[in-house]
Amino acid sequence: MRNNMNNGLAGFSLVEWSIRRPKRVVALAVVLTAAFGTQFPKLKTDTNPKNMLPATSDVRMWNDEVDQTFALYEDTIVVGVAREDGVLNPDTLAKIARITDEAGTIPGVAAKDVTSLKNVDNVTAAEGMLKVSPLMAEVPQSQEEVEALKRTIFANPLLIGRLISRDGNTTAVYVPLERGADGKKIADDLRRTVGKLKGPEAYYIAGDPVARDTFGAEMFKLMGLFSPLAGMIMLAAIYLMFRSLSLAFLVMGVAMIAIVWSVGLLIGLGFPIHIMSSMSPVFLMAIATDSIHIFNEFYFRYRERKNKAQAIRETMSAVGRPVRYTALATAAGFAVLLFMHIIPVRVFGGLVAFGTVALRLLSFSLVPAILTFVSEEKMERASRTEDVGADRAARWLRSLGDLGARHPAATVLAGLAALALAVAGATRTVVNNNMVNWFKAGSEVRTADRVMNEALGGTSLAYIVASSHEEDSIKTPEALRYIEGLQRDLEKLPLVGKTTSVVDYVKRINRVLHGDDPRYDTVPDSREEIAQYLFLFGMSAKPADLDNVVDYRFQKANIWIQLKTWDARAMRGVIAAQDAYARASPFPLELKPAGTAYFNLVWNDEVLWDMVKGFGLALVVVFVILVFNFRSFKWAVVGYVPLLFTILLIYGVLGFAGKDFDMPISVLSCLSLGMAVDFAIHFISRLKQRLAEIGHESGRAPDTEVLLEALRWTAARPGKGIMRNAVLFASAFSVMLFAPLTPYVTVGGFIAGMMTLSALMTILYLPALIVLFKGSLFGRAS
Amino acid sequence: MVARKRWVGLLLALVGAIGPAPGVRASDAPSAEEIMQRFHEAMFYAGRDMKAKVSMRLVNRQGQERGRTMTMLRANASDGRNQKYYIYFHQPADVRGTAFLVWKYPDKDDDRWLHIPAIHLTTRVAAKDRQSSFVGSDFTYEDISGRDVGLDRYELLREESLGDKACYVVESTPKETSVQARKVSWIDKTTFLPLKEESYDPRGRVLKVFTAEEIRPVKGRPTIVRRTMRDVQSDHYTEVVFESVDYDVGLEDGLFAERYLEKPPGKWIH
Repeated sequence: MRNNMNNGLAGFSLVEWSIRRPKRVVALAVVLTAAFGTQFPKLKTDTNPKNMLPATSDVRMWNDEVDQTFALYEDTIVVGVAREDGVLNPDTLAKIARITDEAGTIPGVAAKDVTSLKNVDNVTAAEGMLKVSPLMAEVPQSQEEVEALKRTIFANPLLIGRLISRDGNTTAVYVPLERGADGKKIADDLRRTVGKLKGPEAYYIAGDPVARDTFGAEMFKLMGLFSPLAGMIMLAAIYLMFRSLSLAFLVMGVAMIAIVWSVGLLIGLGFPIHIMSSMSPVFLMAIATDSIHIFNEFYFRYRERKNKAQAIRETMSAVGRPVRYTALATAAGFAVLLFMHIIPVRVFGGLVAFGTVALRLLSFSLVPAILTFVSEEKMERASRTEDVGADRAARWLRSLGDLGARHPAATVLAGLAALALAVAGATRTVVNNNMVNWFKAGSEVRTADRVMNEALGGTSLAYIVASSHEEDSIKTPEALRYIEGLQRDLEKLPLVGKTTSVVDYVKRINRVLHGDDPRYDTVPDSREEIAQYLFLFGMSAKPADLDNVVDYRFQKANIWIQLKTWDARAMRGVIAAQDAYARASPFPLELKPAGTAYFNLVWNDEVLWDMVKGFGLALVVVFVILVFNFRSFKWAVVGYVPLLFTILLIYGVLGFAGKDFDMPISVLSCLSLGMAVDFAIHFISRLKQRLAEIGHESGRAPDTEVLLEALRWTAARPGKGIMRNAVLFASAFSVMLFAPLTPYVTVGGFIAGMMTLSALMTILYLPALIVLFKGSLFGRAS
Repeated sequence: MVARKRWVGLLLALVGAIGPAPGVRASDAPSAEEIMQRFHEAMFYAGRDMKAKVSMRLVNRQGQERGRTMTMLRANASDGRNQKYYIYFHQPADVRGTAFLVWKYPDKDDDRWLHIPAIHLTTRVAAKDRQSSFVGSDFTYEDISGRDVGLDRYELLREESLGDKACYVVESTPKETSVQARKVSWIDKTTFLPLKEESYDPRGRVLKVFTAEEIRPVKGRPTIVRRTMRDVQSDHYTEVVFESVDYDVGLEDGLFAERYLEKPPGKWIH
């Protein structure tokens, strides 16, 4: 191997330059790191997952328009009050009144539209008197008053499923938020408010802003906790592997430097740290462990040579090429995300790609420079165990490689069987996202959501906007009946708990004005009647009541749909039903979905598919890099197998486990790409080097025995590097298994599984494939 | 007690209307209570009766409008502070004929009736909180027919000019908590009509702003013929224009009866 090959520019060797001037290299690294570090005070964070889609995206513009047209709030928190023996008693009702009042005093709450049993407008007629007024101006005191209230409440279908559960044991206070308010902060304030109330009632704080903002805030906290924790675990693992604290600090130090550089750059460029980029430190730390291959080889070499400078040179010469190509593959894999649509996805891709390049630059400069400082005595001690023959781990890896190489057909067949199973599982994967499910089953957020969804019509809110081109067209009996038909169709969906529209108000008023006669619980036949009912309602009720369901010109109607789950698929079902209805009964009203649940669906589709597309593109790019690296299409295919295999197996397991393909999983896929291919590059590069070292000429297939021996060596020596890398990685991420948010548990569990899997795949399958296709692989090379 | 206070207030107001009491120097500002009493007289009790053709424009944040045109009849009771209102809607066309009757009493809930022409129904309507919206506009019932003077505490903050008009700036704070925490009124020193009012929510933020755009004398009584109430928080406003207004036209008390809702008196409503 020519030495200058390692270092890009012909004649200049960064490694050589760095070994000669180690102090200067260290000083330079310190200065650069300090320079990037100066950007940190400017750090801005954006914890809102919603901002993954820019404010100018179609769905957000449309939702804003709908919010404006119908005077709606983008976000509403639902405070559930439940009591086993019913909430309709003076004591609980007094508490509801108190929560309603106090919620209005919390900054960020749209006080005038806080709605509960206390102040919801109720339309009734009794003793010749029409009454449109807040349901409970005074909290009832006597049993008779309570009974009267009960009758009133259950006589009004508008209230059931929204403000009171059918069994009367659960009620809700709806707390709308002003634009830009922090849902988590307000949820915390509301928790404090209900925390002060004593008694048998249980309280639940639910709703999209709670889940979303709590998740965003928790995520940042967890990143702050897990990044250093993962770092420390890696540090400890490296120490255990190499018995050298300075080495451990070196690896982690390099990782830290790369993190400071890339995050510093990001901040300097004026980007806020988004939930996605907040994960980059852990990613970069993981990618930094690739330098383990350098140390792995260095210790082997040092044991053989007993000359530090010489060992460094030889090491860099041996692992330089694979390390550079793995870095290239990883960087390219992430850089592909730069071409995606979603800005935070692009930022994340660019950030990790830059960090990867920085890491590699450091591997060829700072790492060799610092190695020159390590005392020979320490190295001597550490390298004592590094002998392929003596080392237990190496011996085990050797026999593993041997297994694959000796029984290639059986190994490949077993692999194919596993693959077939994996594909079967992978086809069962459902692309779905449900932010509430990002919290653990017993968590407060998820429990609140579950309880409220069971008792009431649902906390996930969507709208369908029906619009016409003509003013006042909503006031016609035909339009109202059309809307009513759509509502009945939607209500047939199992995940739709309740729908509400202007039709429900009109029917309610019609019935009330006709002495509460159920025969009048219908859409009136004349347009004047409808117009006058709406006029009456508009002049008696809170303006929001009518504004929320019809626009100012009576040209558009807004149908509220309460869904029982935040699953994106629930909304998909609503849209399908809407389209089917529009097809089956054509009418000049255009139907269009909106609302938070709709946003979540679009978010799910756009962000997730963007990641999936990026991932697909990255797979192609990585393959091209493999072709270039090996200068052979066939070798690239072989090198690609462990990567594909690992990914398919993961998706297979996910499919069988019934786990949705969601945001965390899609991010995970990208990481797997960066890492799994590394192992193959190391393995094949080192195998080829080994063959050259032991005198095999390229251009013809080696003797089986020579190849087998070379494979065993590769499995044992660079294989140990691969295994070390995998173990390091897995151990760092396994801390996440203890995280309170499920995406972290998923990421932690699967990374640990994935690394072990791809390391095993590399060491077991590559030998099998190489032996099996030896003729073709070596035959026509060069 | 309350009633007596109110009478005292009324007397004071009447005295004020006649002129400064003997021995009181002209430069002395009247008390905040007196100012508010005189404001009430000028604003809500002008004349023995009143007839107005009113058009109302409700404009939302997006600039979309809803129009209403109505005839408003008001008669003051010959004794005390009771008033009766008759409101007939001409526009929008599909609600034409909808009519509304209010008997207002200062110390108890109003009596109200509503007529819905499409189903030939006249029904009593339960009284509402007077701070609720008047026919869906940004004005409340109180803004239209006045808020009882005894419900607030007043403080004369300062005297200042608004445009070229000298004003008293009075702050009203409700004795009981309500949606409107406090209100600051700029009251014209000569007409005692409010030129501007700002009401605040309990968090101290501006809730609504009232402005009187045009004041004209009608039968010698300064009358606000164009006014706007803007809900600052929801960016919604209502403009009310008195297309025609007259006082002391001789509305009989019998006119303000339930039976006239279905058959509006052609003499007054056309």
